[in-house]
Amino acid sequence: MNPLDDQLNRLFRAAAQVKPSAVSAPAYGLETRALASWRTARSSDEGIWDITLLVRGLLLASLIMAVSFWPVLSSAESTTTTSNPFADYLQLTDSTVPSDDAP
Amino acid sequence: MTDAEVLECLARGRKGDERAILELFHYMYPHVAKLVQANLPARESAEDLVQQVCVKVMSHLDQFSGKVPFLHWVSRIAVNTCLNQIRHEKRRPEVRLADLSEDEATVVEHLASSPDELDASEQVASKELVDKLLATLRPDDRLLMRLMYLEGRHIEEISSLTGWNKSLIKIRSFRARAQLRLRYNLLMKENP
Repeated sequence: MNPLDDQLNRLFRAAAQVKPSAVSAPAYGLETRALASWRTARSSDEGIWDITLLVRGLLLASLIMAVSFWPVLSSAESTTTTSNPFADYLQLTDSTVPSDDAP
Repeated sequence: MTDAEVLECLARGRKGDERAILELFHYMYPHVAKLVQANLPARESAEDLVQQVCVKVMSHLDQFSGKVPFLHWVSRIAVNTCLNQIRHEKRRPEVRLADLSEDEATVVEHLASSPDELDASEQVASKELVDKLLATLRPDDRLLMRLMYLEGRHIEEISSLTGWNKSLIKIRSFRARAQLRLRYNLLMKENP
């Protein structure tokens, strides 16, 4: 084994013997702070959920409006197509325009 | 707390029951505190980091699938949170012999001059020296060396803690070890 590796191994073995300091009870106030942060995170999550719900509601409402107005819009469109502009023009030329100069 | 009690607490916690959340906090606290203490980034308060990990766990209870024990899942969150904090440290200090304490310098001398194991009285100084050497490594490498050589964890365990696959761990540990050898060699060259 490389002498450097051997030295490093011995160093790590000695360092690993050091026991980590025992974990005591949570510091004063940590529990309250953690709970408060959890509440904040939870309420902001709920806020995001409310906005998502609102956006979805608006989209659904628009869709319902579009579906319900569709027959009206399509019938209006078909009425417009029967009276095409060329027919209107012919109708206008056929008609007699009353004039004040006429006897 | 038994597994059944943990699952029951988790179910109540997901519904927003504060008592269940507090019970989970007290259950996971010693585990999180231990992990944070072992992988604490420089200039970071252990208490703040413990709080950060606990809140992260408590706010994401819905994401716990139950495929692994609850504390395994908590460990993974704790290790990744520590790793992210270490990644924010821009500067990785060099270790010079002149910067070592008297005890640490004695350890270096002992290692170079004798093939024997270090004395029990030199263990604390060894730990401090190892910490200084590890601080020169990249965050991922530092975490890996700590888990592998100080905590004596197996590759499978490290994989489940970090989410890294076994091949990546092997490659990373080989590279990190080489870096560590290089730093240690530089230190030895300074040793008269």
